[in-house]
Amino acid sequence: MTSRTITLANRGGATYSVDARRPLLDTLREQGVDLPYGCKYGGCITCAARLTDGQIDQRRQVALNNRQIANGYIILCVARPLTDCTLEIGVDSHGKLYRNPFADPLEPHELKADIATPKEA
Amino acid sequence: MECCGPGYASPAEAMKAPREKLLYTIAIYTGTGIQKPDYLCTIDADPESPTYSQVIHRLEMPGIGDELHHMGWNACSSCHDDASMSRRYLIVPGVRSSNLHIVDTIDPRAPQLHKVVEGAEIKARTDLSAPHTVHCLGSEIIISMLGDAKGEAPGGYLHLDKDFNIVGRWERSMGDIPFGYDFWYQPRHNVMASSEWAAPNTFMPGFDLEEVGHLKYGRRIHLWDFEKREPKQTFYLGEDGLIPLEVRFHHDPDSTHGFCGAALSANIIHWWKDGAGDWQWEKIIDVENEPHPEWPIPVPGVISVILISMDDRFLYFCNWLHGDIRQYNIEDPHNPVLTGQVWMGGLLDRAPEVNGVRVTGGPQMIQLSLDGKRLYVTTSLFSTWDNQFYPEIRTNGGCMLMVNCDTETGGMEIDPGFVVDFGKEPNGPSRCHETRYPGGDCTSDIWV
Ligand code: FES
Repeated sequence: MTSRTITLANRGGATYSVDARRPLLDTLREQGVDLPYGCKYGGCITCAARLTDGQIDQRRQVALNNRQIANGYIILCVARPLTDCTLEIGVDSHGKLYRNPFADPLEPHELKADIATPKEA
Repeated sequence: MECCGPGYASPAEAMKAPREKLLYTIAIYTGTGIQKPDYLCTIDADPESPTYSQVIHRLEMPGIGDELHHMGWNACSSCHDDASMSRRYLIVPGVRSSNLHIVDTIDPRAPQLHKVVEGAEIKARTDLSAPHTVHCLGSEIIISMLGDAKGEAPGGYLHLDKDFNIVGRWERSMGDIPFGYDFWYQPRHNVMASSEWAAPNTFMPGFDLEEVGHLKYGRRIHLWDFEKREPKQTFYLGEDGLIPLEVRFHHDPDSTHGFCGAALSANIIHWWKDGAGDWQWEKIIDVENEPHPEWPIPVPGVISVILISMDDRFLYFCNWLHGDIRQYNIEDPHNPVLTGQVWMGGLLDRAPEVNGVRVTGGPQMIQLSLDGKRLYVTTSLFSTWDNQFYPEIRTNGGCMLMVNCDTETGGMEIDPGFVVDFGKEPNGPSRCHETRYPGGDCTSDIWV
C-alpha cells in the first residue's frame, strides 16, 4: 500500500498515515478522527475540508463550485491524497464555503465546472 | 357511525378533533459542527401542563449526517374505514443519508425507533436517493425521492408496503419530468400534482442563484394520471414559477383546486379543472422583491412553504428571507385576500427578537392545528442554505413559535406565551424543521 501523511492543522497538527488509494473520509474516520459527512458520494458538501498544502484527486466530487475550489475546499468522501497533505477539517474550516448569493454573486468562471465559462483574460 | 380506522371521516370531522397536546418536530445537527445525530423532539403543547412549550423527549437517530427534513405518517384519513390500520408510525427520512427511520409512537410522549430502511439498500434496489415527501396511499406508502443513487435528477417515487418493506419504484414513468420535490394527490379526480426543486447534487451543497439561469432549478408543475402512475400534463410556469415547492390540493376531496408556492419567484400558483374538463393555472399572489441597502441583488421572499386550513378557507405561507408569514382568505381561490401577517426574524430585520428569543433564520416550516387556530412555526430551512443566509444560526440555533389565527374574519398574532428555543438544547444549538401532531394535522390527511 502506498501511504501518505495527512496533517490536521486545526487539530493541533496531528498526523495520520493513510492509504493513498482510498477516500480521506474513510481512512481518517477509521483512525478516530471525528468528521461530518452526509451522502458519501461527493454530492452534498457536508464533508468539505480545506486543503492548505499538498495535492488530492477529487474528480468524482460534484458539490463544489469553482470559487469554493479556488478557496481550497475539498470533498473528503471522494478525495484521495496524491501527496502528503495538510488539511483544516470540520465546520470550523467552512468560513469561506458558504456565501449569501444576493450579497455576493458568483462570476461566470466561478460556477460549477459543468456550467462555468472560462475567465476572460 | 363510529369507524375504527385512523383519521377522520371528513375534513369537517377532523376540525372537531381534540386540540393537539403534543408536537413532533425534527431537529438537526447536520452541518452545525456538532457531531451528534439529528433527532425527533416531542414538544408539550398542552397549556395546562407544567412542561408546556418545552421539549419533553428526544429520540436520536442511529447515525450522524442524515439531515432529517420532512416526514409523514404510515396512515391517514385515507384509511379511515380500515380497522386494521392505525396512525402509529412516523416515517422520518434523512435527505442526505437517504435512510428512512420508522418511528413508533405507541407511547406518544416518548416515540421509539422501530426500524431503519437503509439508504444503501434503497439505492441498490431502486436507484433512488434523497427522500422528501411522504404520503400514505391507502395502506401503502410513497415517498418522493429527488435523485438517483448518484444524486442526479429527476429521481422518482419509492414505494413501501405497510410493513415498510421496499416494493420498488412506484411510478411507471417519469415522462420528461426534469426534477422532483413535493406531491399531493386527489383520488376522486385521479390526479396527483408534483413540483420541482433541483437535483440533490445541485441543492444540497447550497444555493448558487446563478444556477437558476442555467436551468438547474425547477419551473414546472406536473399533473399525473394517479392510477396509471404516469405524468399526464405539465404547466410550464417560466419566470412566474421559479423553484415551485410545496403543493397542496384543497382538503375537500371533491375539489380540483390546488396551490403551489414558487419559492424564488415568490408567487402563489393556483390550478383547477375548468367547466370543459381542462386544467388551468394562474398566478394569484406575487410577493415583491425587497431591495437590501448593501447587496447588489434585491431579496426575494423565498416562499419555502404553503399550507391550507382544513376548511379550505385560508392559505398560509412564509417568506423565509423577508421574515413574514401571511394569511390569505381563499374562499374565492382566484382572488385571494390578505387577512393577516406577522414578522419573525428574516433578513429585513423587521422582528429580530420575539418572546425574548433572538430569531435566527426566518419563518419556514409551518403546521396548523386541525381547528385552524394555532400555527406552529420553525425557522430553519436546510442546513447548507441556513449557513448561507443566516450563518449565526450555528451558534443561536433555530426556534419554534406559535401564531394564533382568527378563523372568523382572519388575522394573526404571535402567541406571547409559547417559544421553544433550540439554541438551548442539551447537546448545543440545533435547528428545528417540520412538525406533525399525533392526531393528524393540515398536511397529513387526504380523503379518498
Ligand atoms: S458526504 Fe456528501 S459530499 Fe461528502
